[in-house]
Amino acid sequence: MKKREFWMLVTPSLVVMVGLLAVPLYRTIEWSLQNVNYGDPGTFIGLSNYTTALTDPRFGRAVVFTVGLTLVVTAILLVLGYLLAVAVNRLHRMRPIVLGLLLLAYVIPGLVGATMFSWLFDSNFGGPVNYLIAHVTGQDLLWFTDTWPNRVVLTLNIVWFLLPFAMLVILAGLQSVNPEVLEAAKIDGAGPFRLHWNVIIPSVSGVIGFVILISLMDVLRVFDPLVALSPQAAAIGNESIMFYIYSVAFKDGGQQLGLGSAINVLLIIIIGIMLIPSIRATAREGSR
Amino acid sequence: MRTSLRTNGALALTAVAALGLAACGAGSKTASSTAAQVTCDVAKPSKPTTVNVLAYNSSAIDPYTNTMVSSCSKNDYTLKHEPIDFPGQVQKTTATLAGASGTYDIVETYGFVIPQYGSQNKLAPLNDLFTKYADSYKLNDISKDMRAAMTYDGKLYALPMQAQMYIMAYRKDVFDQVGLQPPKTFEEMKTAAKTIQEKAGIKYPIALPWLATGDIVTSYDCILGSLGVNLTNFDTKTANFDKPQAKQALDEMIALKPFMDPQVTTFAQPAVQQQMYNGTGAIAIMFSGRMNDLTLEKNSKYAKSFAFAAPPKVAADSAKLYDTLSVDGWSIPNNTAVDKDALFQMIASSVSEEASKASLPAAYPARSGMVSDSSSPYAAAANVSITSAPPAEPYPWTADVSNKITPIIANAVLGKITTDEAVVQMQQAATAAIAAAK
Amino acid sequence: MTISATQDVVARKVLGADEPPRRRRFTGTSVLVGGFLILTCLAMLSPIVWTAMSVTKPTDVAFLNPPVFTWQPTLDTFVDLWQTTNFYQYVINTLVVAVISTVLALVLGLPAAYALSRAPGWISTLLLVVALIFRALPRFAVVLPIYDLARSVGLYDTTFALALALVAINQPFTIWLLRNFFADIPTTLDEAAMMDGCSRFQVLRRVMLPLMGPGILTAGIFVFLFAFQEYLTATILTDVNARTVPVFIATQLGQTLPMLQQAGAAAVLFTIPAIAFAFIAQKYIVAGLSAGSVKG
Repeated sequence: MKKREFWMLVTPSLVVMVGLLAVPLYRTIEWSLQNVNYGDPGTFIGLSNYTTALTDPRFGRAVVFTVGLTLVVTAILLVLGYLLAVAVNRLHRMRPIVLGLLLLAYVIPGLVGATMFSWLFDSNFGGPVNYLIAHVTGQDLLWFTDTWPNRVVLTLNIVWFLLPFAMLVILAGLQSVNPEVLEAAKIDGAGPFRLHWNVIIPSVSGVIGFVILISLMDVLRVFDPLVALSPQAAAIGNESIMFYIYSVAFKDGGQQLGLGSAINVLLIIIIGIMLIPSIRATAREGSR
Repeated sequence: MRTSLRTNGALALTAVAALGLAACGAGSKTASSTAAQVTCDVAKPSKPTTVNVLAYNSSAIDPYTNTMVSSCSKNDYTLKHEPIDFPGQVQKTTATLAGASGTYDIVETYGFVIPQYGSQNKLAPLNDLFTKYADSYKLNDISKDMRAAMTYDGKLYALPMQAQMYIMAYRKDVFDQVGLQPPKTFEEMKTAAKTIQEKAGIKYPIALPWLATGDIVTSYDCILGSLGVNLTNFDTKTANFDKPQAKQALDEMIALKPFMDPQVTTFAQPAVQQQMYNGTGAIAIMFSGRMNDLTLEKNSKYAKSFAFAAPPKVAADSAKLYDTLSVDGWSIPNNTAVDKDALFQMIASSVSEEASKASLPAAYPARSGMVSDSSSPYAAAANVSITSAPPAEPYPWTADVSNKITPIIANAVLGKITTDEAVVQMQQAATAAIAAAK
Repeated sequence: MTISATQDVVARKVLGADEPPRRRRFTGTSVLVGGFLILTCLAMLSPIVWTAMSVTKPTDVAFLNPPVFTWQPTLDTFVDLWQTTNFYQYVINTLVVAVISTVLALVLGLPAAYALSRAPGWISTLLLVVALIFRALPRFAVVLPIYDLARSVGLYDTTFALALALVAINQPFTIWLLRNFFADIPTTLDEAAMMDGCSRFQVLRRVMLPLMGPGILTAGIFVFLFAFQEYLTATILTDVNARTVPVFIATQLGQTLPMLQQAGAAAVLFTIPAIAFAFIAQKYIVAGLSAGSVKG
């Protein structure tokens, strides 16, 4: 393709992306070095926002919580997603129906889904989950006041809306498993566990890597579910980094925009660090 | 492929049809279209103007909002109001007042934040406009005390529409069943709660809004006030958390915990209302603006079983009740682009005599002489409560001090720190906040 | 059957559409698997089902504790939501934002994706990496400056600004998705058309686009879906005029009855298009999601 044609086709999209993605990103970095508010030109204060952020225990708690949540959710997604994909793979006529039912959780907006989830668990508003648990075990779990029950609810909700995606992707991967290799393994006397662990999983390692990548990326930036499920997030130590940024850089009208921007940059770095193994694997896969 | 396209097309058509049909009824019964109509004769603007009103939804505020929107949307003025909950209003108020321009032109405010916004010059002083329109809108009938509550440094920053004070709502049927009278002190309240626990089977009879990121500090402030101490001392510019009553107030809160739902630190007032609707609470103490909902049969089958009284005192020798008086009013941000004179006429008409009358029984209007004991089921309680509330603290640092001590109080109530540690931390935080308020 | 339908093939495989019918055998494993699937489906649907139940209950028992499981169903809440709030306006806003986003995303993305699909191989890996990097960014890092820009330009709280922001945020993914579809169309078609005297643009318009039906549909559905699901960007960039349904629901979380129940009704109403996506557009969603994972 001629150079001129290439650039004429690409430029409109490039302009939008540079103007609304690259430039804002640059602005965030600029703001992180300033004491600034919306509409202000801002005063340069060097790295002091970063030192404030890094020495703030609230930031440390947010990082620990977010990273922990990410790892737990990713692990659950892999296991459940794989099991579900294998199960759905056995279906034939029912498959579109079951897929449709499962996809609902993925398609519903995160906030709407989290709101519905919160009503399941809120005993003051008639949550049936509490009702059942109290009936069966007599225990009263405080899903919104206590730290760990709240973490369970958050984990459940995030798994709930990411599971269809994980399952679909792994299901797609399962389609390309070589049936002959499977047959050979079965003839060799491999039981179901060995079949999966030694034959199937290695051959779908590409899609599993993809699920890990997307799951890490998305859960590190979790925000919507906390609005509905954990309004007390900061008080009980369940604040995600994005939620922290929101309360610092926007909620109060941007009084601490510089600090919020610094935390944004730090979050980018954290995401980058956690994604390095995944990106390396994807690049290796892509160049194969 | 063709069939799926056909189904897609059919679906799209049905969707459009449904939308079209339904659009006929859309927004037809917005509360503002069923509100009282009052005179609102604002001169026509130079070009069609939209006025955005920020006000949270509650059965007490809604009548004023709706009257304003429906009566003043004419002559090229369109007033818009979107439903929003109280935390949302707090957040949007901060956001809209923060910059050189804002989204909202009329903002609902309350006495607590007036000193802060007044000292920061975020709100337009209304003294001159008040004098100009006092006669045509009979503004001098608005209670002087309430106007004072919305004044800072001699400038009136909001036009009062109503007062809200703490009211105690209780289940008369349960009280009669176990032979109880409405409690007059915290001790009596705890005894009553214990009796209800044992004899009426209600596990957590006491319901107070103790949201750990907000309401809990109001409750603390009321207890402290009932014990005769303010949060801070204006003359010496010091905080009062080194006094024994500061620790005592925390201890009082902790003593109430066995009678309250374990999730209470996640409860704002709507959740406390829900406790009463459910019948899982028997005694609730919160702002009068939330009382009307309790009497509506649509909301609860216990609607007819509620009775109301003034809140109890904390100690038997307390001079004041566990109570607070908050004045709600309309203010005009300094950064609005709409003509402030016109805006003032709008808010003045929304607090007119007819509008105030129409807000009964849900609200306690700021106009003098509107509320007699028979105006509503809780009017008698309100009239008692309003005279015995601890004094307000209209200092520029009060809001900031409250915000800073809120998480500490929450930690103490949740048992994460001892009350001794808590008051030390509160004293530190408050002293810093006072120093910062310049 | 279109030439560029490799994605279509993948989707059909995932959906099991072309498998020969198998004889059913009720072995122990299949009972176990069946049970597992039923339980999972029930668990995944439970929030939606419970909320749907809550909003068809009369207001005084909707959120009653302990919960009631038998009641007189009523549609009053939906009627109230529709008539007493501006819900209709919020729905319109959401639709407008979604449609503008989709149209703009395609108009901008199609030429770029075509150009990138006919470019040397290292560019496509670069594109993949760039798309991933931008997808991984925390939204606030991008949206807060856009908020600042929108306010200074006077476009704050407009559906257009929100749509434009969403277009930009989703461009890398859109281009990457479309590029994969374009890559399936053999370049011999380009060359043949150009030998006949077509310019590149004419090739794109007359030869490629007709073949890109599934691709355009897939990308369009995804962009529409992302716009429909968006809460974070919408809450930052809108206020009174351009409020969308998820933002409305979020502002009602702290309300009391009956407005809380109306928020639930809004949530349920918003599930209906979700059902349409999950069942009718299923093939395209599957194709789009699988496109990322399956290499060729």
